[in-house]
Amino acid sequence: MTVYVIRRLIAVIPVMLVVATVSFVLIRLAPGDPASVIAGPYASADDIARMQRALGLDQPLPVQLVKWWGRLAQGDLGDSIFLRRPVVEAIRERLEPTLLLTAWSMLVAVLVGIPVGVISARHHNTVLDQSFMALALLGLSVPNFLLGLLMILCFGVWLGWLPVAGYAALETGLWPNLRSLIMPALALGLVQSALIARITRSSMLDVLREQYILSGRSKGLSERTVIYKHALKNAIIPTLTVIGITFALLVGGAVVIETVFNIPGLGRLIISAVLRRDYPVVQGVVLLIAVTYTAINLLVDLAYLAIDPRIRFR
Amino acid sequence: MKRLALAALVLSLLTVPALAQDTPRMGGVLKAAMIGEPPSLDLHWTTAVIVQQIMWHVYETLYTYDKNLQPVPMLAESHAVADGGRRYTITLRKNVKFHNGKEMTSADVVPSLQRWGKMSTTGKALWKGVEAVEAKDPYTVVIHLKEPSGSLLFGLGSPNNGAAIHPKESLAAAGEGQLKEFIGTGPYRFVEHKPDRHIKLARFNEYSARSDAPDGGYGGKRVAYFDEILFIPVPDEAVRLAGVETGEYHYAQSIKSDQHDRVKSLPALEPQVVKPYGWITAVPNHKQGVMANKKVRQAFLAALDMEPIMSAAIGNKAFYRLDGALFFPEQAAFHSQAGVSYSQRNPVRAKALLAEAGYKGEPVRWITTKEYDWMYNSALVAKQQMEAAGFVVDLQVLDWATLVQRRNKPELYDIFSTGFTVGADPALATSIQCNWPGWWCNEEKERLVAEMLRETDAKKRKAQIDRVQAIFYDDVGRVKLGDYFTFQVTRKELRGFRPQPFLYFWNAWLAK
Repeated sequence: MTVYVIRRLIAVIPVMLVVATVSFVLIRLAPGDPASVIAGPYASADDIARMQRALGLDQPLPVQLVKWWGRLAQGDLGDSIFLRRPVVEAIRERLEPTLLLTAWSMLVAVLVGIPVGVISARHHNTVLDQSFMALALLGLSVPNFLLGLLMILCFGVWLGWLPVAGYAALETGLWPNLRSLIMPALALGLVQSALIARITRSSMLDVLREQYILSGRSKGLSERTVIYKHALKNAIIPTLTVIGITFALLVGGAVVIETVFNIPGLGRLIISAVLRRDYPVVQGVVLLIAVTYTAINLLVDLAYLAIDPRIRFR
Repeated sequence: MKRLALAALVLSLLTVPALAQDTPRMGGVLKAAMIGEPPSLDLHWTTAVIVQQIMWHVYETLYTYDKNLQPVPMLAESHAVADGGRRYTITLRKNVKFHNGKEMTSADVVPSLQRWGKMSTTGKALWKGVEAVEAKDPYTVVIHLKEPSGSLLFGLGSPNNGAAIHPKESLAAAGEGQLKEFIGTGPYRFVEHKPDRHIKLARFNEYSARSDAPDGGYGGKRVAYFDEILFIPVPDEAVRLAGVETGEYHYAQSIKSDQHDRVKSLPALEPQVVKPYGWITAVPNHKQGVMANKKVRQAFLAALDMEPIMSAAIGNKAFYRLDGALFFPEQAAFHSQAGVSYSQRNPVRAKALLAEAGYKGEPVRWITTKEYDWMYNSALVAKQQMEAAGFVVDLQVLDWATLVQRRNKPELYDIFSTGFTVGADPALATSIQCNWPGWWCNEEKERLVAEMLRETDAKKRKAQIDRVQAIFYDDVGRVKLGDYFTFQVTRKELRGFRPQPFLYFWNAWLAK
């Protein structure tokens, strides 16, 4: 087990090197450059060239790449071109909203998705099941930004219950913080819950056809025990994998939702960095997301171990 | 005309009492929803409009503009011109404090002007004619020119990319780079910038305002009524509008004009039209490719019918104006129709010109962006009109950052979309500069622009502008599609706010 974890952790290093290099090259392959953005629309070509020199962007790409590797080896992600601070600090400032948003969305996705999946499977082919699945299909088809805008219109503008946009930091209190995250978390989480519901339902249906369920029922176990103790525990493995994937989708969704709801998180950071070609920030955030995703995958693999004793890693 | 002026006077007298009952109030936090984040906080460093909109509450310039966009003193007290227009002796106002408590003197003004002359686009254009800037005594700055200049004061007063005065210590700390601290003399001082959250400014209690009354433009007394201003980046237009509707923001900029009627019907909101704001332009590439041929450019201009183009670009008729002049009717000193052959709607002439030019269907690469929908929408309609006249158009939609980079590379395009905002000085207008993308360089025009820079006589300048305008249409320097106005929304409790081409919030206050 320990050996397995260590081996997995070592394997992360080459992955990170590849991610670091690819993100460096890709963002520079994109046309456009930060100097013309800073200089503004009425600047002349000389002004832009002067700014490129000031930013060190006139150096050959391989030189810049080697510098980036060198800094990375020392754990330094460089400085943002636009934000006048180190990338690490820019990321640290944005972690709170994104972490909270992702956590709340995940909670919404799991708390809605799994029960809906289980209930649908239990009442297979009934009206309840079909209406749940129709809703889930709708949920998968509605883009989260649209859901977000509709919610803003409904709860923010018409009913006035929730702030239309913006983020209240945790330090301003738990309730204001929660209020500012309810709509974005629902917009993001509900869409993901549809995926979780469908996967849970189909894997529950598979499990419910197994013979041990039949034997459980025939030895007189209550339906509750059969469903929640025996069936769900076995059916949850594929759902767990999906929850891991959901995390990645949530990070992607956060990019959009944070822009719609004006939340100053990592999503906004990367979107504005890409639009303005803030190279160091894009590289830093991509690297961070890659690290997180790798870590989540590892955790999911370890969770299998806890849930299903038949699984052994070597 | 006189009768009109009289009517305007009566009207203004009628409306004044209503405003007068409304006494300004100190206090409150103004929340302004802006379209995005400024790329820098250094005015010398960038021409981006949003930087000026935010930071000129913090920084001030020696001069600014009155309501007719003519230069008036701001940090300067007065000036004297000598030596046949070659020496400007500027007297500074006394007891003007920087936000760090230090008094502003010529020791700060001279290095600020020198940095601006070296770094900013406008400054560099002017500084070609500047021999030296010196501090004669703590309150006197002398600018020695190589030749007389009709543009110097306009340039020193420009809000965009403006000649902001910084303490010399800030400039020393910045070195060759961007400013590291943001200290000015303005009515509001910089507090913090939390990217994607807000830029916070607070009232500067020791602000030394001018004693002359506000003049309806940008000059005169500036008062900071708000305790704080929060400039909040809200990239989504629907959210900006929803936020101002629910009262989360007091001001939302850049709202689509088709929302105008709805906003008008809402009792809590006040529609604000910024008129004039700018013109929508298609800039042909004079340096390379198919548009380098004058006949092809003339065919391009001949093919266009501006009404459908502007209608597609802007929508609401109250937000655009079909006018071909290089300057706005509101700039009476410069506006004329001399030499204008705008909106020709003549595909037959266009076809003939293309035949004369020997055009063989080479694709015209037009680069545009959807980030400003009016650019894309206007290009789309223009493309159809060009195709009807025999052009082959390859419309390439890019993101804005790519567009501003590519337009500097003559081999990559034939036309690009952009907008020109209000400029006060004709000789410094980006629309007629030769060293700007599109590279419209024309011997006679360059001579006239150089003369205009020197000319101090208003009548002679007007004649030069008229001639430049005629060349603009004959040579098809750029293609002006039309004037557009922007739509901003404020809440009713925001009082004293004036929609102007250069946004500002001093002298405005929050009622209740």
